[in-house]
Amino acid sequence: MSRNEIRIAGAGGQGVVTAGRILAEAAILSGSNATHNQVYGPQSRGGASRSDVVIAGDEIGFPLADDIDLLVALSGEAFARYRPEVAAGGRVIVDSRCAPEAGDEVTSDFAVVDTARAVSGGQLVTGVVALGVLQAYAGLVDADALSDAVARRVPAKHREMNLEALRAGMELVNGAPA
Amino acid sequence: MSEARLVQGNEACARGALAAGCTFYGGYPITPSSEIAEHMVRLLPDAGGVFVQMEDEIASLAAVIGASLAGSKAMTATSGPGFSLMQEHIGFATMAEVPCVVVDVMRGGPSTGLPTSPSQGDVMQARWGTHGDHPAIVLAPSSVGEVFDLTVRAFNLAERFRTPVILIYDEVIGHTRESVRLPDQVEIIDRVRPAPDSVDFRPKAAGPNGVPPLPAFGDGHRFHVTGLSHDERGFPTDDGAVAGALLSRIHSKVADHEDEISAAETFMLDDAEVAFFAYGIVGRSAREAVLRVREAGIKAGLIRPTTLWPFPGRQVAVAAKQVDKVIVAEMNLGQLIGEVERAAAGQAEVVGHLRADGEPITPSELVGAVTAAGGGN
Repeated sequence: MSRNEIRIAGAGGQGVVTAGRILAEAAILSGSNATHNQVYGPQSRGGASRSDVVIAGDEIGFPLADDIDLLVALSGEAFARYRPEVAAGGRVIVDSRCAPEAGDEVTSDFAVVDTARAVSGGQLVTGVVALGVLQAYAGLVDADALSDAVARRVPAKHREMNLEALRAGMELVNGAPA
Repeated sequence: MSEARLVQGNEACARGALAAGCTFYGGYPITPSSEIAEHMVRLLPDAGGVFVQMEDEIASLAAVIGASLAGSKAMTATSGPGFSLMQEHIGFATMAEVPCVVVDVMRGGPSTGLPTSPSQGDVMQARWGTHGDHPAIVLAPSSVGEVFDLTVRAFNLAERFRTPVILIYDEVIGHTRESVRLPDQVEIIDRVRPAPDSVDFRPKAAGPNGVPPLPAFGDGHRFHVTGLSHDERGFPTDDGAVAGALLSRIHSKVADHEDEISAAETFMLDDAEVAFFAYGIVGRSAREAVLRVREAGIKAGLIRPTTLWPFPGRQVAVAAKQVDKVIVAEMNLGQLIGEVERAAAGQAEVVGHLRADGEPITPSELVGAVTAAGGGN
């Protein structure tokens, strides 16, 4: 696999950092190399937050996104700030609430935040729903490895809810099974 | 080797410390270093060690110095604001010759600054933050694996030379997770202790390499520890000849082994016309930039110091004779660039690519910097 740079960005509290970490762990379980970095503000909730994940078949030089191949934006602020940093040929997943009106051909919107709310009653699993969308949309890692990485990373009492969030995210792209 | 897993830089620091034999951690948590404390508090008790959260950073390093004198390998970790508070005791540990490791994970400053963002603004503080003439050993890793290796090295150098050693890296290195295999076994150096039955024990009489053997409190040797200038018996003196000789010996411990302590990795430098000088995360950006500009036919290379102090001036001087231009890229407004200029001594043009806005310097930026500088021309 050639180098893939993924940036997951949103607001503090959406689980953006955890989602990035799970994706990197899933990539390693899938036999690739991966790095993960987190950027957050001084506040524990709110403020901007982002996670960079680099996945490659061989050694990773620079461990952050420099030319973003895939941007997952979960807030309007994140979309506005990082959309210009997406590489030519890159793609963007954005939450439906902050989707651009028209004319952005590389951007696809999905109801990530609303789905997370339906699954968890809040924003807790937003990042994991986004991982489901990303997996169904781009398939960067092995699907079983991703479920495995989610199950390993989240607290035991929230495991089922997070696996449900992952499935719900994938269904946003693929449609619900008949 | 353990199996490959995703490890954060700060976790690698804690695991490196344990591998090196650290049994005491005294600290006060501060972003972006807190994960070091979080891992130590979980791992140290099982390793037979002690973790103490102190009331502030002044007390933290005081506790570390006490633990080290009692025979433990001891460390603390902090960030810029706490590192400032530790400077007094770094001087004390230098003067009293107490081995210890101080980790500074750099964030934006001055003051509270940008608490969660990276910088490289403390590299001169690491050299000159404490007062008086003193040597400094400062190590700077660029990857998660290197954080582990250089943490081990920091303990080994501290024990060997009876001196504080500083490990310094930016927030990106501290918070980045990489897939690594950490070694199960590492080479460990322990401090030299005096023979238990040594008569007329002089705690500050130089042994081999100018380093006095250090007993642990409780071993049976009685000795006095002071930050005042002191004689070989460890007691204060204002005799200028004795004070001068003590300072010279403390200085020489590091100066006489400068070539061995100082280290820099070079990359594609053999035919380079332009060289980057970069450390920490910027060392990674520069390496990537070298590969990209070489594809465009520009002969670039990299000097990446892993020891900032003693400054690897010899390696810079050798490179400066060969290249036309050195681009110093650092996440501050110009700190090590002065040292590079001094070492280059006019043999190559030295220019800075400096950034201090809380964002890391990226490979794309450095590709732009080489192109703007006209390659090596």
